[in-house]
Amino acid sequence: MGSLKPVGAESQESQGSGFFATRADFLINWSRKNSLWPMPLGLSCCGIELMGLLGPKFDLARFGAEAARFTPRQCDLLIVAGTLTWKMAQAARTIYDQMPDPKWVIAMGVCSSSGGMYDSYAVVQGVDSILPVDVYVPGCPPRPDAVIDALLKLQKKIEREDPLGRLVGPTVAPVGEEGTGELVFQPNHGLPKGPWDKHAHDPKSREDLGDPAPRKTEVKP
Amino acid sequence: MSETTPTNAPQAPAGPRWAAALGALPHCISNSPDGAVIEVEVAHLHAVLAALRDKAQFELCTFVTCIDHYPAEPRFALHHQLLSLANNDRVRVRCVLPGESAPTCTDLWPGASYMERECFDMFGVRFEGHRDLRRLLMPEGYEHHPLRKEFPHQGIEPDRLYREWDRKRREGWTEEA
Repeated sequence: MGSLKPVGAESQESQGSGFFATRADFLINWSRKNSLWPMPLGLSCCGIELMGLLGPKFDLARFGAEAARFTPRQCDLLIVAGTLTWKMAQAARTIYDQMPDPKWVIAMGVCSSSGGMYDSYAVVQGVDSILPVDVYVPGCPPRPDAVIDALLKLQKKIEREDPLGRLVGPTVAPVGEEGTGELVFQPNHGLPKGPWDKHAHDPKSREDLGDPAPRKTEVKP
Repeated sequence: MSETTPTNAPQAPAGPRWAAALGALPHCISNSPDGAVIEVEVAHLHAVLAALRDKAQFELCTFVTCIDHYPAEPRFALHHQLLSLANNDRVRVRCVLPGESAPTCTDLWPGASYMERECFDMFGVRFEGHRDLRRLLMPEGYEHHPLRKEFPHQGIEPDRLYREWDRKRREGWTEEA
């Protein structure tokens, strides 16, 4: 892992003209994680907590994520705060599509994480059935502290990313006939649902979600 | 202060003030904890509502809603709650629908348009004469009526419309690329 420690400052020649030596991917991730621009998608009561989070008391500016823009074209962090209905799902997905890459998603509150108490015909049972979610925040609504914690977790997640791999995506990674034998870690990719996640009408358990199937690596004896 | 009775004093028997307005229209008046209820047949519903508005000063239609008495038949009962600001009086008009259609009251109270649209959306009651009977809450293209008793509360393929839209969107992207 790289660092941003000044190099060569103690040597005689470079005194007063210090420089940094680091790795490119570390520098890219470092600059990305410290200037997240949130797109607040306040859908219900979580939106009130989100306003408190962006306000002076909880002060998201301490973590570099205070520049909330209400146009998705200028944002790279979608905070889904509240109950997402199926009628609103098209708008939410359009907002996500309009955000430039790289982009991350925080599902704030139980409603956007799992549908919450709305086990209903109108409510999306977790926004991860339409969006790739990075961090889930429990709470109904969560306190702003919890969202700050989610932001810090997301920053740690961005630290570990491979910027180039994020750019090319999981489907075009080169695969030999015997597979690569290693796990291609895609931080922003949706997890395949297991049988323990089945629900009576859970759309995530259906097969036509459009997400690419998890890649199978066959191991030959 | 004069000795006239204040206007907001409770009116002694509430019935006769508007009962005369109904005239010869067939109806049946009963009392409920919420106040007086006029039961009418669907053929006389519009005439009764018009008489209450024009002759008994019920200027406001507070709500229009429906109750599903499934599996009883006929299952739908339409309720109009009216408010008279002039007389400080409320009345409810109940009408059991033989089918799934009812006369509109938007020609009497234009503000009832949204309530009838919601009623159509949730129960599938068609209001004859409504100018723009579209769904209000559920997305257009949805084919179920969620507040009917036989509708499962978790829905019937609640994501179908979104998936269709999503599929078209993805196909459109591949064509552009």
